[in-house]
Amino acid sequence: MIKEVNHEEFEQLAKSGLVLADFFSTTCGPCKMLSFVLKDVEKEVGEDLTILKVDFDQNKDLTAQYGVTGYPTLVLLKDGTEVGRLQGLQQKPMIVKLVKDNQ
Amino acid sequence: MAVNYSFQEHLVDRQAKAEEEMLKKFEEGNYTLENPLVVYNAYLISPLSAVVCFETEEETPVTVTVLGKARQGNISHTFPKAKKHVLPVVGLYSDYQNKVELRLYRGDSHVVTIDVPDVFDGKQVIYSMDTTPEYLQDNIILVSPAGEDLAVGFDYAGDARWHMNVPCVFDVKRLKNGNLIMGTNRVIQMPYYMSGLYEISPCGKIYKEFRLPGGYHHDEFEMEDGNLLVLTEDLTSETVEDMCVLIDRNTGDILKTWDYKNCLDPDKVGKSGSWSAHDWFHNNAVWYDKHTNSLTFSGRHVDSMINIDFETGKLNWVIGDPTGWPQDVVDKYFFKPVGNNFEWQYEQHACVVTPSGDVMCFDNHHYGSKVRDEFLPAKDSYSRGVRYKINTKDMTIEQVWQYGKDRGAEFFSPYICNVEYYNEGHYMVHSGGIAYDSEGNPSEGLGAFAKNMGGKLESITVEICDEKKQLELHVPGNYYRGEKLKLYSDGINLELGKGQVLGQMGVTKEFDTDIPLESSGELMPESCNARIEDEDDRFTFFSRFEKGQMVMLLLEQGEEVHRYFISTTAVPFLAMCCGTFMDSDERNTRTNVNKAGLKGDYQVRVIIDDKKYETGVTIHC
Repeated sequence: MIKEVNHEEFEQLAKSGLVLADFFSTTCGPCKMLSFVLKDVEKEVGEDLTILKVDFDQNKDLTAQYGVTGYPTLVLLKDGTEVGRLQGLQQKPMIVKLVKDNQ
Repeated sequence: MAVNYSFQEHLVDRQAKAEEEMLKKFEEGNYTLENPLVVYNAYLISPLSAVVCFETEEETPVTVTVLGKARQGNISHTFPKAKKHVLPVVGLYSDYQNKVELRLYRGDSHVVTIDVPDVFDGKQVIYSMDTTPEYLQDNIILVSPAGEDLAVGFDYAGDARWHMNVPCVFDVKRLKNGNLIMGTNRVIQMPYYMSGLYEISPCGKIYKEFRLPGGYHHDEFEMEDGNLLVLTEDLTSETVEDMCVLIDRNTGDILKTWDYKNCLDPDKVGKSGSWSAHDWFHNNAVWYDKHTNSLTFSGRHVDSMINIDFETGKLNWVIGDPTGWPQDVVDKYFFKPVGNNFEWQYEQHACVVTPSGDVMCFDNHHYGSKVRDEFLPAKDSYSRGVRYKINTKDMTIEQVWQYGKDRGAEFFSPYICNVEYYNEGHYMVHSGGIAYDSEGNPSEGLGAFAKNMGGKLESITVEICDEKKQLELHVPGNYYRGEKLKLYSDGINLELGKGQVLGQMGVTKEFDTDIPLESSGELMPESCNARIEDEDDRFTFFSRFEKGQMVMLLLEQGEEVHRYFISTTAVPFLAMCCGTFMDSDERNTRTNVNKAGLKGDYQVRVIIDDKKYETGVTIHC
């Protein structure tokens, strides 16, 4: 599942299971590209993964909470705890590896 | 609007044609000592040079002297005996009617006039040169580009006597055969990864381009057998500036590779203030020490100089502040300071191993600490040349010399620069990265960025002999390194014949995610101002995009598609050792695609957000 969420929805969905938070900006070309990459990632490991898209500019509390200072930033959470992070535009194999390493 | 297309012939080909034309004219004419053929800037890229051609009835040596504005400014060389003389003239003055004397051995002489235009287009290239003709003699101090100012060499009087009109960047060294070695002018990946190195004559003739799959950056070193150590990287990997290769001087083949990730864990290093996961080591210098058969590398982003075994690649020692390194690494490889006035180096450049085994470098002293809370602001910073005596048995280190600390911020370069060892007590310290912000304060940003913000750049080069300053060159602009050399050498000076392009380009990193769009059939918008510069072994796509647009360059040949992502987001580079290729307009992008790995004809298309555009250009690979 890929879903854009607000703060409350994020808190609800991120606390259990494997969750990949994509901190993005609508003013960022690499973020738009990453959306296509994440669709591919979902096809490969989506059964075990929830992808939550968090608008960097609209969710300052969340960015502060997770120490996200730039976009795009991917934060992988397992049962609510951060287990990995990737900064900048990434290709599919790198993201899939991060997910599989933490399944 | 169709994308503007042009084909750029390789400099080697253009020079071959120019040389062929020159020699044809020489053959067809009756050129004598009194009436020589004079070809100004014969090799197109060295506009303070010329070639003179004439014939003598008997074989005779010829002495060429570029007459100085004062006698001490003469630059002279005697060429071996010949009947047909094709002689390089180097050391001409800009914006000047140069007089060049041609003198036959025990024979006649003739003075030719060579009019040279203002090759700097009225731009000031020097503030001052403070030295004596007795000290500098007919050497020049050559400074190599780190920004928009191109390579230039100055004589004792501060007159420019050498210049290149193409952006060959990073280090310049004299090779044992008298030729120069320097980075090419061909960028294969921003910000400053170049296709390789040129072996070149001071009159601009390129003898060889050594291409490398991972490109070239920062530094190279000539081995005793003539082969070259070159700093490179794997441009398809997730990290940069962390590899060195040994290349065959004759073939350009890679003979040996050292990947520093094999001796250091990028996640377990003492990080400098400019560290990033991508550029974790930032290798800016290499030195081979034959006495220990080892390599010393300077890593700016680990505040350290590391030494590894040439054969095995195993780590021998590390010179640097141990803060932040794992204790087991510190215990095994780091030195303990002894003696007085000891200071570690921070974000240093240009490691040098002296004949006695001491290690020198330019200590940029950027941040002056590995602890963020203790970082020095630019106004309180200093840079220095420093020499350390190391004892690898008891692992102690002593600081035995330094220059520059007392000058404070006026000599502070947070990036680039070098030291040169000439002899005991005789050194060059080149602080080429001095920058002031728009208010005249020492800049917190690197020169390349300060310039774009209305700042001012400077470079100061000093030579010290027995603790006495013998030379100080002060120029506007930032320059990567300083190098002292004579324009003529005892070596080849000029060899005729077409240059060689050796080695190989790598396969350019592609993006594997497809964006499912059909071509709109429309040409790219005019606002993109797009153009393609095609070459034999690569092409470069230049275009302007607005911040936030999603852009992908596509090469399509039927079902075969190659994708290259173009970022429209300004990247906050923490290192910009060469800002020569930076564009002042952040919307302008420059994307290189090597033809390695591609075959046949490819339609070039571009995705901008949700539309796929035509360029009207077909690239042949």
